[in-house]
Amino acid sequence: MKGERTNRKKKAAALVEICSVRLDQALYGIPITHILEIVGSVRPQPVPLAPAFVGGLIHYRGDVLTTVSLRQLLGLPPRQGSQDLLVLESSGGFFGLLVDAVGEVLTLCSDGHEPNPSTLDERSRALFAGAYKLENGLLVMLDPERLDPMRLGAAHAA
Amino acid sequence: MDELTREFLIESQEGLDRMERCLTDLEERPQDAELLAEIFRAVHTIKGTTGFLGFKRLEKLAHAGENLLGQLREGKLAADGTIITGLLQLLDGLRSILKTIDETEGSEGDGQDIELIAHMEELQSPERAAADQPAFAGAAAQSISAASPTAVADVAPPPPQALAAPVPEAAALPPQPAEVVPAPEPVPVPQSPVKAEAAVTKPRGVSAAESTLRVDVTLLNRMMNLVGELVLTRNQVLQATASHPDMTLLSRRLDMVTADLRESVMKARMQPVSNIFSKIPRMVRDLSQSLGHRVRLEMEGQDTELDKSLLEAIKDPLTHIVRNSMDHGIETPAVREAAGKDPEGTLKMRAAQEGSHVIIEVSDDGAGISVEKIRNKAIERGLITAARAATESERELLQLIFVPGFSTAAAVTNVSGRGVGMDVVRTNVERIGGKVEIDSHVGQGTMLRLRIPLTLAIIPALIVRSVNQSFALPQGALSELVHVPPAQADKLIEWLEGAPLYRLRGKLLPLVFLDRMLMPGAETKAAGERDRFIAVLDADGRRYGLVVDGLADPEEIVVKPLSAALKDIGIFSGATVLGNADLALILDPGAIAIRARVSMSAEETPEAGTAGEENSETAPALEYLLVEAAGRRAAVPLADVLRIEQIPVSRIEYVGSRPVLNFDGQLLPVEDAGGVLAAAEENPAAQIVVVVCREGNRHVGIAVSHVLDVAAGGDLFEAGASQRTGGVTLLDNRVTGVIGLGSVPPLPDEDVAPGAWEPIEEAVR
Repeated sequence: MKGERTNRKKKAAALVEICSVRLDQALYGIPITHILEIVGSVRPQPVPLAPAFVGGLIHYRGDVLTTVSLRQLLGLPPRQGSQDLLVLESSGGFFGLLVDAVGEVLTLCSDGHEPNPSTLDERSRALFAGAYKLENGLLVMLDPERLDPMRLGAAHAA
Repeated sequence: MDELTREFLIESQEGLDRMERCLTDLEERPQDAELLAEIFRAVHTIKGTTGFLGFKRLEKLAHAGENLLGQLREGKLAADGTIITGLLQLLDGLRSILKTIDETEGSEGDGQDIELIAHMEELQSPERAAADQPAFAGAAAQSISAASPTAVADVAPPPPQALAAPVPEAAALPPQPAEVVPAPEPVPVPQSPVKAEAAVTKPRGVSAAESTLRVDVTLLNRMMNLVGELVLTRNQVLQATASHPDMTLLSRRLDMVTADLRESVMKARMQPVSNIFSKIPRMVRDLSQSLGHRVRLEMEGQDTELDKSLLEAIKDPLTHIVRNSMDHGIETPAVREAAGKDPEGTLKMRAAQEGSHVIIEVSDDGAGISVEKIRNKAIERGLITAARAATESERELLQLIFVPGFSTAAAVTNVSGRGVGMDVVRTNVERIGGKVEIDSHVGQGTMLRLRIPLTLAIIPALIVRSVNQSFALPQGALSELVHVPPAQADKLIEWLEGAPLYRLRGKLLPLVFLDRMLMPGAETKAAGERDRFIAVLDADGRRYGLVVDGLADPEEIVVKPLSAALKDIGIFSGATVLGNADLALILDPGAIAIRARVSMSAEETPEAGTAGEENSETAPALEYLLVEAAGRRAAVPLADVLRIEQIPVSRIEYVGSRPVLNFDGQLLPVEDAGGVLAAAEENPAAQIVVVVCREGNRHVGIAVSHVLDVAAGGDLFEAGASQRTGGVTLLDNRVTGVIGLGSVPPLPDEDVAPGAWEPIEEAVR
């Protein structure tokens, strides 16, 4: 799906806009077309007994939003302090993604995108959608469809 | 499918629904011209529009029906049972074609309706008319005499002429109402009242169409969500502006408008229960014919309103219940007569609003449910042990009919008896937060009562604290709260092989620690370290105590659904945003009970124990709230107690000489015969307890110093008399005066005339 979109963009203009998010030192990217809103410094309400990837609940415009903690999803140790929230749209509806900090929006040329390397372990391959080669490192792409708590929940159960 | 066709389908469905209602009414009032006109209009509208949209099959059938209805409307035929059955078949035929159009997106299918059309024609043939002659003449004469008495003589002749018309001709030709009756003079006379009727009813229909509007349900849902959001924002604004005097007026206004808006949106979602009740007469009619029962249907409270989604949810359960009553409940006329009952059975359906619930009762005067049969069947099926079956009360045994697959029917009929049904009824009703109660007496009949919340979106809940979070506990399942102070925790909470128990009024109540359930791995603090509260819950007959760390205020919460990933946890039924903008998960008492393996047990039902002690008593002893005021004891019937409020005495205000409490904008008259207010007057910070009670349609408060206990009262008999003495009861082996709530005068009355607070010594005569 990601590939299709990039192809389409390529025809129009070979540039894509990607919102970068930071987790410790690593840089991840999410296409801005999937981002509804960015909310700074949130404190989600924890949900007891929830699967490990659930970051808690957030009150967002009258709805109760389930959030996915990128940290918990990638198995990183928890971090003190507030987090930033990205409200994402997937085919299943809206959900939140909790990250340490939201960085700048980068305009990248789609030529710089490469698919997941074949050596990547299966769990990461299921979450990542390739990477962009930046001057000072890699920008690992995240696909909102694959981060949807419903899909993660199904995978978690299985 | 284009917009026009869709609109046509909706309109036709509505028309046919109306027609169905009218047809069942028509059976009772066959001469009612207005009903006939209404039915005619429904079919006529379909015919007219189908021609335009090109649905040939539908048009043909509607045309055949219209001809028959035309005859009826003009009074040339009388609507007897056969014709009504025929019209109901027509209705089903039209419905099935409409359904095909809906499902295939615009094709009406290749089915032929020759038989049905032929039947329509047959019904209006003179031969049938001749058979119905006496009824017809009477009907025609009556309808005319109402309009113009002088016309009666003119109308009498047509029957013989109609009879004279040759039969084969009428059957061969497409029926043409104007030609069948050769006498031209009388025709205008019977027509005139009908025409006048049509002229009167038409404008009414038009005005209804102009003043109403079809709205998409999803839009209403969205509006409801937004209003919920507005309520939350209002709560926050009110909290934030409480200290600004300039804002008071503005925030009051915001408060009022929000409340009004919320009510209006909720009202927009409301529909009268007649929407589902109206399907019942047809069902009862068909079932009584196929079963050979005679049943009279009585319906009450059809204008009671309920949220649309809830109405949809109880449609199937209600159908199941009526089917059960018709098949297993009401006996055949012969059996009824042998039992000395009216051969015609009665099925009563009643809907009424009671507080924040709508009660729907379905009762029959049939055979009732034999508790013995249930007992035997349950033992046979291994649902309960013989020993337990012997000790369980009738009420509890009756509950077994809700167990999946349970049926006492000897034979499975095509109507019911397969044992699916009652469990579906209960599951469906409980899914929407309702309750099903059953009451049955052998030989007298069965009554099923559904308690449905008014709306799904907003429910009253108690906010509790555990694992440093707030959770919402729906009030519907909550029966009482017990405080366990740290010092007494070890004594009050007892353990039996790792299972915590609490002695609630002498009976053991299984306990579930919420924190242990939510944090299974973590080491939880011993019970003795802090205050604990036990919320005594009753979820689908499972009674247990949920141990929480703290209690906050009760709140009206707006229920928000959880995403699928969180729903799978199983013990949360949703989430909500509290007044302080915090989020809280809504606990599902039933699911928690199941997870903690709390079973539906006999000992845990309050009625069981007292009945065992004094088994000659059939009526369970009344429970009382034992209160103390200024050193004296008194009792309040527990059933009348709504809630108990602890407030500083300064919150009591006075209207004239009457003490009142302004409670959430509602004025509560406070009864102070115990002298609590007077005693506490010097110290405005002193805390008093107000017991809020229900008295008829109003609420009254009773000021007391403490609430002592809840206990079952024993009846007292005056020496030498066999009459139970009112006003006193035996509590904890002490004679205690009962506060008569009825003696608290309503507010506008200035004179205070209580007298319920008699000292105990005086109460014993």
